Order: sequence, then C-alpha cells, then structure tokens
Amino acid sequence: MRHVPTLTRRELSAYFLGPMAFLILLAFQVIAALNFLELVGQLSRPQQALSNRFEPMNMYISTSTPFWIAILVAIPALTMRLIAEERRSGTIETLLTLPVTETEVVISKWLAGVCMFLVLLLPFLIYLPFLYIQGRFRFDLGPLVALLTGLTSIGMMFVAIGLFFSSMTRNQIIAAIWTFVVLFLIIILTLLVYSWAAERQAPWAEAARFTAVLYQVQAFGTGKLDLRYITLHLSVTTFTLYLTVKVLEARRVN
Amino acid sequence: MMSHRGTGMIRVEHLTRRYGAVRAVDRISFEVGAGEIVGLLGPNGAGKTTTMRMLTTYLPPTSGRASLAGQDVLDNALEVRRHVGYLPENVPLYTEMRAREYLNFRAKLKDVPSARRRTAVDRVVERCQLKDVENRILGQLSKGYRQRVGLAEAMVHDPDILILDEPTAGLDPIQVREVRALIRELGQRHTILLSTHIMSEVEAICARVIIIARGRIAEDAALDDLRSGDTIAIEARGPADSILAALRSAPGVEKVTAKTRDGEFSGFEVHARNGADLREALAVRLMQNGWPLRLLDQRRVTLEDRFIQAVTRVSFSDAKGEAHREAV
Repeated sequence: MRHVPTLTRRELSAYFLGPMAFLILLAFQVIAALNFLELVGQLSRPQQALSNRFEPMNMYISTSTPFWIAILVAIPALTMRLIAEERRSGTIETLLTLPVTETEVVISKWLAGVCMFLVLLLPFLIYLPFLYIQGRFRFDLGPLVALLTGLTSIGMMFVAIGLFFSSMTRNQIIAAIWTFVVLFLIIILTLLVYSWAAERQAPWAEAARFTAVLYQVQAFGTGKLDLRYITLHLSVTTFTLYLTVKVLEARRVN
Repeated sequence: MMSHRGTGMIRVEHLTRRYGAVRAVDRISFEVGAGEIVGLLGPNGAGKTTTMRMLTTYLPPTSGRASLAGQDVLDNALEVRRHVGYLPENVPLYTEMRAREYLNFRAKLKDVPSARRRTAVDRVVERCQLKDVENRILGQLSKGYRQRVGLAEAMVHDPDILILDEPTAGLDPIQVREVRALIRELGQRHTILLSTHIMSEVEAICARVIIIARGRIAEDAALDDLRSGDTIAIEARGPADSILAALRSAPGVEKVTAKTRDGEFSGFEVHARNGADLREALAVRLMQNGWPLRLLDQRRVTLEDRFIQAVTRVSFSDAKGEAHREAV
C-alpha cells in the first residue's frame, strides 16, 4: 500500500490539468449559489422558519433537485477517465508492469475520485459561515456534520461504481453512460419501488425505503447519523472495488 | 543485482498464450544469458508483443513457464517487475506530465529510495540526452524524444533486464541511429531483449537473434553462425567433373555443388567450413590445373534470406499440418 499516496497524487493532478474538473466545479458553484439564495429567501419568511418540518440542510442540499442532477452527471464525468483512459492510451501496460499491485492502483484511483467528490461539496460549504456569522442564523451543526458524513459515504459508493465501469472498457463515453444509468437506477428506482410497495402496504416496504438513497440523505440531513446506512454504502463500495481489482487482474479488455 | 550475472537471466519453457482458439504464442522455449542483447525478429502478428507481455507479467501465460532473474512470472510477478524495465510498443506516456516529473514519479513507484532518486533520474536524463526537454510536457515532445523518455523510464530503477518492444518504430533515420547506439551502450550493463521486424536493426544491435513466426521459434542462433552460411561462387572453363573433384579435395571445403553450364564454362557453389574465405586458395588450385576462371565471388547469406527461409519453413510446415488435420 506504500505506493498509494504517489498514485493518488498523480490522479488528482491529472484532474486539474484538464478542463473537466473545473467545469464540474463551476456547475456546482452555480447550483450552490442558487440554492443558497433560495435558502435565504425561505429563512427570511418568519412563519415558515417556525415550522418544525423545515430542515435548512435538507432544503439547501439533500432535497435539492439540481444538486442530484449535478451529482448524476458529475460522478460519471469524474470517474469515466480513471481506468478507461489508461486502457485507450496503453499506459495501463506500463502501469501494471510496475512493482505495484492491482489493488494499490484501484485504491489510489478510487481515493482520487472520492477526493474530487469532496471538493465538489466545498462550494456548498463556503456560504454557510456567512449565514452563521453574518446572517446570525444559528443553525445546528449536528445535521451538517451528519449530512457531510452521509454524503461522503454515498460518494465513496458512487465513485466505486463509476471506477468499476471505467475498468470495463477503453471508451470513456461508454463508461460514463453505464455509470449514469446505474446511479440513476439507484437513486430513482429505489424511490419508485418504495412508493409502489408503500401503496400496496407490502411488508417489505420498509426494506425498500431503507435502500432509497434520497431517504437516506434526508435522514442524514435531519441529523440522524444512521450507521446502518453507512455500513450499507461501505459494503457496496468494498464489493465493487473488489470486482474492479478482479477486472484489472483478468486483463481481458484489449 | 549483480548476483544474477552469469546465470540464465531469462528462461522460457514451452510458453503458450491463446486468445480464444488462436495460439498467439505456441510452446516457445529459449534462454537468454546475462549481458546478452537478443533480437526477437518476426513478421507482424508473429507473437513478439504477446511474448514480451508475458515476460513482463502483463499477460499471464496459458501454459508453460517463464522466469526472469530467477523469479517466476506467475508466482513472483512483483519481483519480476522489480528486475525488468519495459518499453511497450508505441511508448504510452501520461501526456499531461512533464518529462522530469514523469521520471521522478516512475522512480518512486519503482521503489528507488528517495535518497537516490534524484541521482537516478539525473543519470537517465543524461544517458538518454533529455536535458533540453526535461521540463517540457510529454504530449508536446517529438516522437524521438518520447521514445527516449520511454527508455529512460524503463531503466530508471537500473533493472537487470530491459525488454524493448520495437524501440525504433516510427523514428527518422537519425533518431534510429541514436536509439540504436544507446541500446548498444546499455547492453554493457543490462540484459536486453528487443523485438523488431527490421532485419538491419538486429544486425546493427544484437549478437543473437530469435526468429519467430506464427507463434513459434523458427530460428535461434548467434548472428555469426547465421553468417557462416556464406558461399563462394566459381565459374571456370574445363572438364566439369575434374573441376568438381579438384574443388572437393581442396582443404577447408565442406561441400561443392555444380550449378550451371554455359558452353565450356561450368558454375559451382562452394561451401567452406566455418564460413572461411577460400577464394585465393581455390583460384590458385584452378590456375595450377590450367582452368581459366571467369567468376570468383563470395556470396553473403543475408539475415533477410535466413529470415525468409525460416518463416516460410514454419508457414509451410503449418500448412502441411493443417492439411493433414483437415484430411483426418
């Protein structure tokens, strides 16, 4: 594992040597700004601020549609290059003939992707001190910490999925499309399945709700740091990374 | 790293690699001693790259064994990689990195200790003459420079063995000469296995050549041995049988064959033992018998002839084998 820092650093610098990371970052900054305006607008209406159903963190991030659309686009865009590009350019051959294990390669690329994901959340964070200090809106820090932890573990899972599809092909676009489709299913399909089950009052409705990423994030946003969700995300992450290592070891795609 | 000197640096036994039903490499065996420069020569698609990929542990063999510097490619892949520097075909590089930054990055991954890393990078930058471009972005370098960056990368950890896949492909004649000179120089410190489909390259760099065709070894010989197939062509006037007898009895002659007849002149082909040059001795012998000479010429068998012979032999035996299989 001693090669991981070196490899991760290269992946991160590769992100910032191309325009992609900056474009995505810009998009997130715009969304954060719009959401923040909306949040301030909501907070300045006193009757709503008193409502006990109002969760500022959820309205700012977790239930924001633009945020989720941006995530759906950003994760494939950030992960598609990681392995597919090495396959296309042939550098994978020099990489995998170094005294470096496939596991080290996969972990490093995944870590770089997770770091980038966290960087994407920064635009949302930079407004909050203004709200807290300048705006004197003393929101709870608990939900914020829980939400960040939850989003990180979801990001780990999403990046692992993107990395897996990037390892399957030499074509970045194909990797991106697969990642998008799978993430879309994870986010939307779980919601649909839950609402279908809830309508019929099926006994497994609660299980479907448990797997719905949007409900998980809402729970985090209200300050519930549910370790069952995090365990689920980390299990999926570990399994997907394991599969990616196996794909690299098989060297099948030419 | 010197401990491996004098032993078989690369040992390959019945190495086979299939892609589906196709046998890209078919039970090849050879051995390369320390300090040898061996050329792997073959037409496109003969299995050179696949062989090299198995030796560098990029591809696992379907069957057979290979060991480099005493380490098995399957059991001890990481150890093999530590002892091998590999330059793949077309020299894939991270095009967004700078030359020196790239070499430094690679040296780190190849476990060159940080105290020695700077010296190691300096050394390869100097040997591959990259000083002028060390801070340029790799994607903007010319093909020749990129080739040299690839070579520098392959040897930055001072490996025992260098495996170079078509190291001069796509270079202009001057760059080709530079890279060849560099490889010859590297041969003094490293064991080198290089692949090419250019005959003159093997003649210019290697002491030994392994010709492979259709995934099999067609010929494995020292370059000097290949050259010993030289013949002397003679045309003289006189009784053909007597001349033939006289040539056969000359010292140092291995074989004489009668070739052409042109009026009173007869043509002969003389094979000398060990490729010795017998022209003068044979001329004297014929003159003594009063047979005038019209032609006396040493004919070199070029590597190209041997290559084509070897490749057609393999293809022919393959065709026979297939015909046989179809008949059965």
